[in-house]
Amino acid sequence: MSHAGRVKRREKAENSPSGKIINSHDNSSIGGSHPALRGAESLAQSEPGAKTMQTPVTIPVPVLRLPRGPDGFSRGFAPDGRRAPVRPEVPEIQECPIAQESPEFQEQRARAALRERYLRSLLAMVGRQVSFTLHEGVRVAAHFGATDLDVANFYVSQLQTPIGVQAEALLRCSDIISYTFRP
Amino acid sequence: MAMRQTPLTCSGHTRPVVDLAFSGITPYGYFLISACKDGKPMLRQGDTGDWIGTFLGHKGAVWGATLNKDATKAATAAADFTAKVWDAVSGDELRTLAHKHIVKTVDFTQDSNYLLTGGQDKLLRIYDLNKPEAEPKEISGHTSGIKKALWCSEDKQILSADDKTVRLWDHATMTEVKSLNFNMSVSSMEYIPEGEILVITYGRSIAFHSAVSLDPIKSFEAPATINSASLHPEKEFLVAGGEDFKLYKYDYNSGEELESYKGHFGPIHCVRFSPDGELYASGSEDGTLRLWQTVVGKTYGLWKCVLPEEDSGELAKPKIGFPETTEEEIEEIASENSDCIYPSAPDVKA
Repeated sequence: MSHAGRVKRREKAENSPSGKIINSHDNSSIGGSHPALRGAESLAQSEPGAKTMQTPVTIPVPVLRLPRGPDGFSRGFAPDGRRAPVRPEVPEIQECPIAQESPEFQEQRARAALRERYLRSLLAMVGRQVSFTLHEGVRVAAHFGATDLDVANFYVSQLQTPIGVQAEALLRCSDIISYTFRP
Repeated sequence: MAMRQTPLTCSGHTRPVVDLAFSGITPYGYFLISACKDGKPMLRQGDTGDWIGTFLGHKGAVWGATLNKDATKAATAAADFTAKVWDAVSGDELRTLAHKHIVKTVDFTQDSNYLLTGGQDKLLRIYDLNKPEAEPKEISGHTSGIKKALWCSEDKQILSADDKTVRLWDHATMTEVKSLNFNMSVSSMEYIPEGEILVITYGRSIAFHSAVSLDPIKSFEAPATINSASLHPEKEFLVAGGEDFKLYKYDYNSGEELESYKGHFGPIHCVRFSPDGELYASGSEDGTLRLWQTVVGKTYGLWKCVLPEEDSGELAKPKIGFPETTEEEIEEIASENSDCIYPSAPDVKA
């Protein structure tokens, strides 16, 4: 059975200036008044066929964030992910009267307090002269700058080494045995 | 202030995206699977595009992918001469179905008990997923490679498209009921159960036929060769994309072109509306999927409609310090991490 009787119903947006266009996105009307928009924003529009028309100034729909991509090291399907049974969160802590704290709860509180103290100590070190004891009895001094998220590296400046002063350096925390400073 | 469409780009694939499919609406939302020539189909959350997992196992380009209705199972068709069935919750491979040539298309029945496959060996195969040892039932008749095969009429019939024909088969008798001939290559086919509508694209035409009788209903012409089209669940709009890299949105009743969007950097191979009709997804030669809002400016998924006067503290701040890169490039670079880099409303706000 051959296909016959095709009905042509399309109207080109550019050829109907009488106002049938519902949304015409034109490069030329956007570029001037929106200097923050370049590249992608002007790409996500229709072709500039209606240059002579007075097109309204439009702003792009805001988004909360971009879609998350693959994590790069696993195949995904997190076991605690989206298909966990849908049930309301019931915080267990609130059900427990304070007088009957479980040992786990006390331990967690202690851990949190110690962690907070440690992080505050790192903050106090910023900008100070710190003396590091490394392996093989090596001692170096430097101005402390920052640490990374996992406290795996310390960023320091003016690192005094036996072979000279290094303006900027990263100290690997696994190489550090201890460090000391005066606040 | 009129709003302009902000497409959400889902990156992760490294080769062209050739097929995509949505699941039905489940208690956990709905999901999207994408087939890619890199052999690694991906599962994403349907309303946000967030990556959930990658199905690893195929040894060739994946040409077709589908999810069952409740998104518990996935099926993929690949150039390694196999179709695979996967557990879509854990990502594990459940079954490998060997074929004699490249497999192009897979489709589950509504109850997920049977899988239909089709490919370059010109045979339609029906696998009983509850009987792993049983041989599939085969339907022959196509004279060129099968591009798309779909269950229809409550799984009582099968629709299949090869290069120049679309055929309707009866499932019980495994015989051909009707066929349509085209003088141009059929590029895609979509079946809409509610209303029994078949959407077929060929050349620059987007045609609508009855899925029961194959009689033509209407058709539209696009400005360029169309590779895929999808009809909105409420049959108000249709979207189509093809070789000119643009997506077109038409009013289904009047045929009027409503909107067109540039954004992809390569031909569009597949477009599909989400099951709730709130967004549509497009897959392209450029290796990305993009999500587009049906109603531009509506708050849905990651799109948040904020009036210019409101405090947009929760919205992204524009990333400064990249004067050379366009925002499109920043979008591509940053899509791996969850940092917000999309600008809020521009300098319009005082």
